[in-house]
Amino acid sequence: MLDLLRHELQSRIGAIIGWGIGLFAFGAMYISIFPEAGEQMAELADLSIYQAMGIELGSFEGFIGSTVVLFIPIILGIYIIITSTQTLAGEEDDGTLELVLAMPLHRWQIVSVKAIALGVTSFLILVIAGLGNGLVLNAIKASVEVDVTFLQLFTAVVNGWPIIMAFAMMGLFFSAYLPSRRIASLTLTVLFIGSYLAENVAGYVSSLDNLKPFSLFTYFDSSTGVFQNGVSSEDVFLLLGVALAFFVLALLSFNRRNVTVGAWPWQRSPG
Amino acid sequence: MSDHVIQTESLTVYYGKHRGIIDVGLSVRPGEVFGFLGPNGAGKTTTQRVLMDIIRPTSGSASIFGLDCRKDGVAIRKRVGYLPGELSLYPNMRGRNFLKMLASLQEKKVDQSYRRELYERLDLDPTRKMKEYSAGNKQKIGIVAAFMGKPDLLILDEPTSGLDPLVQQTVMELVREAKAEGRTVFFSSHILPEVQAVCDRVGIIRKGQLIKVERVDTLTRQQFKRLHLTMRAMPPADIFAFQGVTETGREDNVIQLEYTTGLPEVMVRAAPFGIEDIDTPPVTLEEIFLAYYDRGSNGGSHA
Repeated sequence: MLDLLRHELQSRIGAIIGWGIGLFAFGAMYISIFPEAGEQMAELADLSIYQAMGIELGSFEGFIGSTVVLFIPIILGIYIIITSTQTLAGEEDDGTLELVLAMPLHRWQIVSVKAIALGVTSFLILVIAGLGNGLVLNAIKASVEVDVTFLQLFTAVVNGWPIIMAFAMMGLFFSAYLPSRRIASLTLTVLFIGSYLAENVAGYVSSLDNLKPFSLFTYFDSSTGVFQNGVSSEDVFLLLGVALAFFVLALLSFNRRNVTVGAWPWQRSPG
Repeated sequence: MSDHVIQTESLTVYYGKHRGIIDVGLSVRPGEVFGFLGPNGAGKTTTQRVLMDIIRPTSGSASIFGLDCRKDGVAIRKRVGYLPGELSLYPNMRGRNFLKMLASLQEKKVDQSYRRELYERLDLDPTRKMKEYSAGNKQKIGIVAAFMGKPDLLILDEPTSGLDPLVQQTVMELVREAKAEGRTVFFSSHILPEVQAVCDRVGIIRKGQLIKVERVDTLTRQQFKRLHLTMRAMPPADIFAFQGVTETGREDNVIQLEYTTGLPEVMVRAAPFGIEDIDTPPVTLEEIFLAYYDRGSNGGSHA
């Protein structure tokens, strides 16, 4: 099992480095423009659309929260949609799973290895992005006065991991349950975008407030509060609980079914 | 404890409403090479995938080494080498790394010198990336993967598919070597001469149902025989039109016959016209296989 995990992680080294550096560069761009663009951003903060969406551009904390902290997990979500649905459904579609299934491994071991690899990969990407952005923050502190520390920014960026894991395990479940990678990735994309929009739209349409609890983004804090009050452990546990629930569903689903391409769950059921 | 390496009883698989296999009951003995014959879609791959617990039976049972394929899949796969029919490999992995990964996942330690020997015998360069390999070279990777652990049982789905004739011969040598070492081989193939050359017994599957299991030599002996008579004078066209005999052609002064019974009557009827020579060309497994399929579809030609 450990050998399979090693292979899974080795095959993702390029993604870890590439996405880590890419997200670091994305955040660094926003952080480094703040000394010059901060005042203009403060003017935009008065726009009602930003206020309704909870985007706070009037302060460094608000600016970084609304850009770097919020968009790093959203961009990383693209990678998660691609890779979580590739792990089982994609490998099943292209047939590469067949020889792995012929090895003396339990199915739960295969699903667990895929889940651990997704978790480790996304965590390391966020760590690289968090460390890089923390270093850029330290670099601009000479030219602008900000209260956010290296550790606070690093923690806020890595705090994207629970929501990423929740979507990753959702993707793993769709990958195990739905008939093809295409359908699994489409479903996850719709849910990901829907979840983001539900949280945002509910921010300025009060009648849609009851949608908020169903959006995973509700439990991900990218406001100034994440710097001032720290990470909410309740939100972290809730998101990791969702991740665990979908992981268990993925295990059950993959463990019980036939491995075939393009079959719906009721066609894959042995009985 | 079962004295068979593979045993299936009433094994049935449906994919939703679509038929996979129906009531397949077969047994493979220790140390034998068992050929599994049938056209595309007959159910060969489905049977093999059930044995590997990649798909689960709708009803019936399958066991290997006396262990249930469904419940004891891991214990079984420790002793089985498997080559799937449609082999797909990770495109960005190098052949050697892929095989090392598979070797590390097998509980039985893989003899590296034997793996290198397989590279040489199959003329395989394992240092390249999978996406750079031709279909034949990918198949060689699959063959190394199946054979390298010297498993007690080899399940091979069309092992020589896509290989050139020389490498096909090497694969058949590997099968013979496995048999000589007392290991068991269960393989499907479309190339009937190679099945005839290496198999002890064959099973013929048609539309999901196992229609015949027999020793290859018995099968070739039991089925119709071929008789070529060189005549001094040609007899009338319908002289051999009786039960058990079919005249398949006439060329110059040679009459070509296939028969299941009635040889003495053939000789009695032919003798007045002067028999100059008698030839009995062997019937190949391929012809027998086709005869089974003809029989299934049009009632047979030697009734």
